[in-house]
Amino acid sequence: MSMGIPEIENAKLLFIFGYNGADSHPIVARRIIKAKQKGAKLIVVDPRITESARIADMHLQLKGGSNMALVQAIGNVIINEGLADQKFIEDHTNGYEEYKEFVKKYTPEYAEPICHVPAEQIREAARAYAKAETSMILYGMGVCQFAQAVDVVKGLASLALLTGNFGGPNMGIGPVRGQNNVQGACDMGALPNCYSGYQSVTDDAVREKFEKAWGVKLSNKVGIPLTHVPHRVLEEKDEKKKIHAYYIFGEDPAQSDPDLNEIRETLDKLDFVIMQDIFMNKTGLHADVILPSTAWGEHDGIYSACDRGFARIRKAIEPKGDVKTDWEIISLISTAMGYPMHYNNTQEIWDEMRSLTPSFHGATYEKLEALGSIQWPCRDESMEDKGTPYLFTGGKFSHPDGRGKFFATEWRPPCEVESPEYPYSLSTVREVGHYSVRTMTGNCRALANLEDEPGWIQMSPEDCDKLNVKEGELIRVFSRRGSLMTRVLPTERVKPGATYMTYQWWVGACNELTTPYLDPVSNTPESKYCAINLEKINDQAWAEQCIKDSYESIRKNMGIDTAKKEV
Amino acid sequence: MGKQILTTCAYCGAGCQLYLNVEDGKIVSSTPANGRTNEGNLCLKGHYGWDFLNDPQILTKRLTKPQIRKNGVLEEVEWDEAISYTAERLSEIKAEYGPDSIMGTGSARGPGNEANFVMQKFMRAAIGTNNVDHCARV
Repeated sequence: MSMGIPEIENAKLLFIFGYNGADSHPIVARRIIKAKQKGAKLIVVDPRITESARIADMHLQLKGGSNMALVQAIGNVIINEGLADQKFIEDHTNGYEEYKEFVKKYTPEYAEPICHVPAEQIREAARAYAKAETSMILYGMGVCQFAQAVDVVKGLASLALLTGNFGGPNMGIGPVRGQNNVQGACDMGALPNCYSGYQSVTDDAVREKFEKAWGVKLSNKVGIPLTHVPHRVLEEKDEKKKIHAYYIFGEDPAQSDPDLNEIRETLDKLDFVIMQDIFMNKTGLHADVILPSTAWGEHDGIYSACDRGFARIRKAIEPKGDVKTDWEIISLISTAMGYPMHYNNTQEIWDEMRSLTPSFHGATYEKLEALGSIQWPCRDESMEDKGTPYLFTGGKFSHPDGRGKFFATEWRPPCEVESPEYPYSLSTVREVGHYSVRTMTGNCRALANLEDEPGWIQMSPEDCDKLNVKEGELIRVFSRRGSLMTRVLPTERVKPGATYMTYQWWVGACNELTTPYLDPVSNTPESKYCAINLEKINDQAWAEQCIKDSYESIRKNMGIDTAKKEV
Repeated sequence: MGKQILTTCAYCGAGCQLYLNVEDGKIVSSTPANGRTNEGNLCLKGHYGWDFLNDPQILTKRLTKPQIRKNGVLEEVEWDEAISYTAERLSEIKAEYGPDSIMGTGSARGPGNEANFVMQKFMRAAIGTNNVDHCARV
């Protein structure tokens, strides 16, 4: 995020795009409500009536998969109605003329039939966004999990450039990231193209610095992204280019990745699969080695919040069983392979990382102890450098010339759209009480009591009538890739033809249905759109028994003695 | 005698600060702390999401011992065997197909920044590839 979470409540206008804070980050959603209470205008762009949409001044209930057309129509209105910040554009940006030329055809009337949003509503939203004293964009997976995702992110950033909404407090653009430490895993260089602090592996000076510190020659070839693994295992013919071994650490691709059939095939085809985790999971069923590690609460360290805030995690209890910390396990394997690594504690690792990473250099354990949280960049070890609440101060951007770059391109429809055989769209979403692959929340008694298998499919009341199904009834859902059973949840919050499932259920695992199509730049899968069909199940007693059996067999597979313990 | 440990919540990216209340070596509850982002508030995952540490075995169970698949079946082994077997297999595959035939992941979840730093260092320095990525994309 270019801003900090606390700034959200002080923006004069919040433009919330494909982001459902109430379900994914309740404590961030609290700031949205506070902003509203302080008089901010709220514009929500979402195909569902989310909690934020309910309190919004304007809700643009667009059709899923039309983001780019809408974003550029807003840019079109801002330019045509003379609402652009010409001084900011001149002083701080590049590419304005090309942008202006490109979005000319994206009039609200052009976007209306694509987005299913009235042209006049697009105009009003554009005016409000441009005219507010400080406008802040918050976006979520409703932007990122499309095959046209990076384009939309750049399109949203272009709106902020167009209106001068960068460089000061309470403005900017904020991807509100889903998982506790997804920011941190990126910060630390768990990415195929950069080391810690986003230092490129192809930059000779950077690489030489790491080579010197680590005493070894390093590859200058960008690695492959995670979502290319199935292809590199199943399709690649050249044995030398194939992936043969997969070290999976704290992830469960056999539950969280799209098109689970393909993932299972991939895991089985690999020569060697290492699974390092805290719980037995679906990936573990395909592993050759399982390495048990300590969990949150059992070890020390640092997480990065979605607004670049480092904060400590601390060991509270002794782990049970014969487990080790993740960094110790990795170090032992490394040492056994002839590259010795040894650390006594997390602070030693952090200090090594800091010594190699200028933008995090000042965020010491001592300073975190004193301040609680530090937003990077934090370059200086002295107590004066308390980090950076918002980026691009004074309109200075990270491009070499310090200027922000406009971006526009054609809207592309989702890769798999509705057809007579698969007439409904499916988007995967979150729900508030459960989390990701659910190994953690599914094993918390209070949370499991609130909601348990097989989960729900959100459908419009019209579609429920058409299929003659009622709330709670089990229904069969199928796509070109798989099929499952889940419960019907009729809701006025969704439009006819569009359906939604939360992705943490194991029996009703919606990733059996999703497509493996990727954004060409970020390689993020299109989890927010695929085509499905629905079928009423007449024998509900049989279906209920299937769900029960399926849950029991999953628990048995996970090693639970199901005879001994009641669910 | 109980103790309170200040930490960051393990769930979404909001970075909420909370206290884990520990009695007899077990977590019994959590209390919101006055963090920069949460200002004394928690959501229901922050309030109740620590119970998995007590391993109630509702959906799945905690791993407590290394395992190696032998003749198609996962068998519990000692750490020494698990580490040397893993290192051998990785070394063999690296020797046969080259470092770029091995893929590793980071973790966006519980392990933390230090474990991710060590993982990418291992993939880059010990294996010799930049094939390291994590579920930020998924």
